[in-house]
Amino acid sequence: MDILASFGNGLLVVLQPENLMYCFIGVFLGTFIGVLPGIGSMAAIAMILPITFYLDPTPALVMIAGVFYGAEYGGSTASILLNVPGTPAASITAIEGHQLAKKGRAGVALFSTATASFGGGIIGMIVIALLSPSLANLALSFAPADYFAVILLGLIAASAVSNGGALKGIAMVVTGLMLGTIGIDLTTGVTRFTMGIPELRDGVHIVIVAMGLFGVGEVIASIRGARSGQAAQTVDYTDFYPSKKEWKSLFAPILRGGAIGSFVGALPGTGQTIAAALAYAAEKRVSPQRKDFGTGVVPGVAVPEAANNSATQTAFIPTLTLGVPGSPPMAIVIGALMIYGITPGPRLLTEQPDMFWGLVASFLVGNIMLLILNVPLIGIWVRLLRIPYKYMYPTIIVLICMGVYSLNNNVFDVWLTLIIGVVGYVMRLFRFEPAPLLLGFVLGPMMEEQLRRTMLLSRGDPMVFLERPISATLLAMTALIIVFALYSSAKTRRRTLASTLASNRKEQSNEQ
Amino acid sequence: MNSKTTFAAAALAVVAISSNAALAEPGAWSDEPVRIVVTFPPGGTSDLVARLLAQHLDTDYGQKAVVDNRPGAAGTVAADYVAQQAPDGTTLILSNNAPFTISPTRFASLPYDPIDGFTHIAYIGASAPGLFVQPSSGITTLEEYVAFVNETPMTYGSSGVGSISHILGEAVDAALSVESIHVPYQGSSPAIQDFRARALDSFYDMVVQNSAMIEDGEAVALAIASPERNPQLPGVPTFREQGYDVVIENWVGLSAPAGIDPDMRAQIHETVLAVFADPEVQTKLTDLGITHVAMSSEEYEALVGELIGVWATLIEAAGIKE
Amino acid sequence: MKNGREAGSAPSDEHHAGGLGWGGEIGGIILFALSVVFMVGGWQLGLGAPTRLGTGAFPFVTGAVLAVLSVFICIAERKGDGLAETPDWIGLVAIAAALVVFAISVERIGLVPGVFVTVIVASLPDRSLSFVGKALLGIIVALACWGIFIEVLNLPFKPFVVI
Repeated sequence: MDILASFGNGLLVVLQPENLMYCFIGVFLGTFIGVLPGIGSMAAIAMILPITFYLDPTPALVMIAGVFYGAEYGGSTASILLNVPGTPAASITAIEGHQLAKKGRAGVALFSTATASFGGGIIGMIVIALLSPSLANLALSFAPADYFAVILLGLIAASAVSNGGALKGIAMVVTGLMLGTIGIDLTTGVTRFTMGIPELRDGVHIVIVAMGLFGVGEVIASIRGARSGQAAQTVDYTDFYPSKKEWKSLFAPILRGGAIGSFVGALPGTGQTIAAALAYAAEKRVSPQRKDFGTGVVPGVAVPEAANNSATQTAFIPTLTLGVPGSPPMAIVIGALMIYGITPGPRLLTEQPDMFWGLVASFLVGNIMLLILNVPLIGIWVRLLRIPYKYMYPTIIVLICMGVYSLNNNVFDVWLTLIIGVVGYVMRLFRFEPAPLLLGFVLGPMMEEQLRRTMLLSRGDPMVFLERPISATLLAMTALIIVFALYSSAKTRRRTLASTLASNRKEQSNEQ
Repeated sequence: MNSKTTFAAAALAVVAISSNAALAEPGAWSDEPVRIVVTFPPGGTSDLVARLLAQHLDTDYGQKAVVDNRPGAAGTVAADYVAQQAPDGTTLILSNNAPFTISPTRFASLPYDPIDGFTHIAYIGASAPGLFVQPSSGITTLEEYVAFVNETPMTYGSSGVGSISHILGEAVDAALSVESIHVPYQGSSPAIQDFRARALDSFYDMVVQNSAMIEDGEAVALAIASPERNPQLPGVPTFREQGYDVVIENWVGLSAPAGIDPDMRAQIHETVLAVFADPEVQTKLTDLGITHVAMSSEEYEALVGELIGVWATLIEAAGIKE
Repeated sequence: MKNGREAGSAPSDEHHAGGLGWGGEIGGIILFALSVVFMVGGWQLGLGAPTRLGTGAFPFVTGAVLAVLSVFICIAERKGDGLAETPDWIGLVAIAAALVVFAISVERIGLVPGVFVTVIVASLPDRSLSFVGKALLGIIVALACWGIFIEVLNLPFKPFVVI
């Protein structure tokens, strides 16, 4: 088979010592930088860019890719341990992951995410190897109407992500949508809600919202115990490995998450966030443990990780084969390639097969390296959690400050994080969950942009949503999901009402 | 040494010192690492040029340099920051048009003065944008374009409201006396994506950077807005030669806070130009679509002043004032 | 602490044990106020037509939806569990102050002294740690930051700035 031969060739390329070494450096750097709150793959890639100038394209690309998914994995480590997600996708991992950590099962969470990331990465790699051309064509045929439909689906999924009640969940998503309008309106160039502050022109940065809502809010909420000198979590750390049943329960979510992530990740721009949200929401519907979601459930932490990692790999498809970067790190990849005189595009597969397949094979090698690197680290991370919180939390605050400052080297961002952090704490007091807000905040502007663009391009004809097959299908799916959700919640309410009436009747009959 | 030689030596020394500025040698000008502030996030063209420069300054001339990305608000955030820094040569800004020649007109008030607030040191190069249409439209010349658009207005994509591609689009519409529907995007890549998905009729973007699409027949470049045809794409005619005086280029240059010592300014200028005279660097620049032109600091400063006026007319014509 | 659980409460509340028993509606009110801000702002920016949405359309519509939802939340919260816990004012002020200190000091006196002071301020409410202990923690964290962020990561922080 042609593909196997190419892949084999790629494997040979990546197993050359130089490429292996740079793959390792990338994965290593990415993981450690990703763990630092707020400093994600962007900063890491920017850091190694000067080094890549000295290298040939293949090792450079392999290293950048390694940093990319290594940082994403490091980010989920931080979300689990500290509830400080650097990316919206990581915030979904944090939902179950941090709960597991609070219950003293951080090791379980970390093992699950390591395995899920690996599984997702492999699935993503297989999808790239087999389906690159088709996925590239699919991405090419996506018009704004189709993107709108995908993002809308993602938003519905985001509402389902909330574990604290549908009403509050939807309210949080809508709040996120609303806050996302702060900044310049891309379609008209007019500033909205910036109150004359120039730094707000580009809106509030996603990392600031994530750091503030999750990080700062979490710290404020948690220091009460630390202040009075309460001993560190006296929880049972022998609960280090997942139980056999839990290992088995990882298999299906990884497959599901990986599948969703691979396809959604190939769509430029929307990729990882929607993938993780969709995967988690879908898992909540389908999982046998769905009732326990929100309390720290292994499938719940595994599925967004698998989706996330596979989306991270397939994000390279539009970048390399179409020259369309889906996210800022991908833009760097394209920029780096252009310095080598390599123009990403459909010709890349034929003109640079060694580089492309070397990269694909490096996903396999890199994911293995990630696993080997991180599994022993799990013990260290868990031990880190044993450091009394009173020493940890000032450190976390400092890390958050530095991460946030390093975004734009602007002190204003720290002020903003402060405000949002207070908001995050207040939200916690009123039991509003931050994750749906974050998702709404990220997806809202995208949705608005695509909606208005669709209208512009169709010269004001709304029927275009139904005329295009992709958007029509997705919108139909979304409608079905909403109908189903309303139906099932009505059914639950009827059932609860019925059982309440029944138990009341029983009480009455008992009293008689 | 007898007195004649001493006198000659002294005379030579005086001559050497007084013509110091003209004889500046490329080399490190500061013991501290230099910060090159960039107006875009990592990965963009300006950023890559800055990193290229920083790398060569370090390896070729021993001047340690670090890139500091401060994106936002069409470069005004970065420019504002740099204007406030000490003029000791440790902070430079590598910028394109936006903060100095576009923003002064586009925004009602700027926290800095684009001419007096800065020492403009070195011009690096420019890239020119152009008009692209769908190959399926069958249009290959501006004439055919005008004929088509007069019947059915076309949508055109730009990299954002107030961007160079937007201003060019409006300028072309004005020059051709047609009206097109502007569809802004965040940067050129999403625009190109929609273009390939056949949802967008046409777009404006830097021509050389899209040469692959032209060669693959995926897009037809109707015209380029440079004064002359670009040697890398000799097949693309200019607007000028087709009868429309539309010349719009995106330049990249290096500046510093106002009040830098003239000798240091000259030295930075010489060093930077030496870096860009390196054939290896030139190749990389050309790959990024930038045509390097060597000019003096004074010429660069004059250019900036001149361009503010040029762009002001264009921006006001496009109606993009805030 | 609220005793027992009313028969009509939704299953989703099972994850939240206890609560103050009052104050839940305040959250809804805050949300309502926020939504009004965006509705007014959106209105002023111009709503445009349904097929040619204006700049203010999205803020207005999301604000309107949120306004409705927040009313429902207020109603639902009246028989809810209320606030999750009493607000930790001291903790809030300490962390807020720490962030303020960082913001003020990092560019003016440099990263190392800035981090040092930030750590101290953040750990002020901790009664179980002596001042010496806090200072020590501050020094360790500050030096670690210097090593990692400036030396290794090459991020543009200035370690010391002489005033």
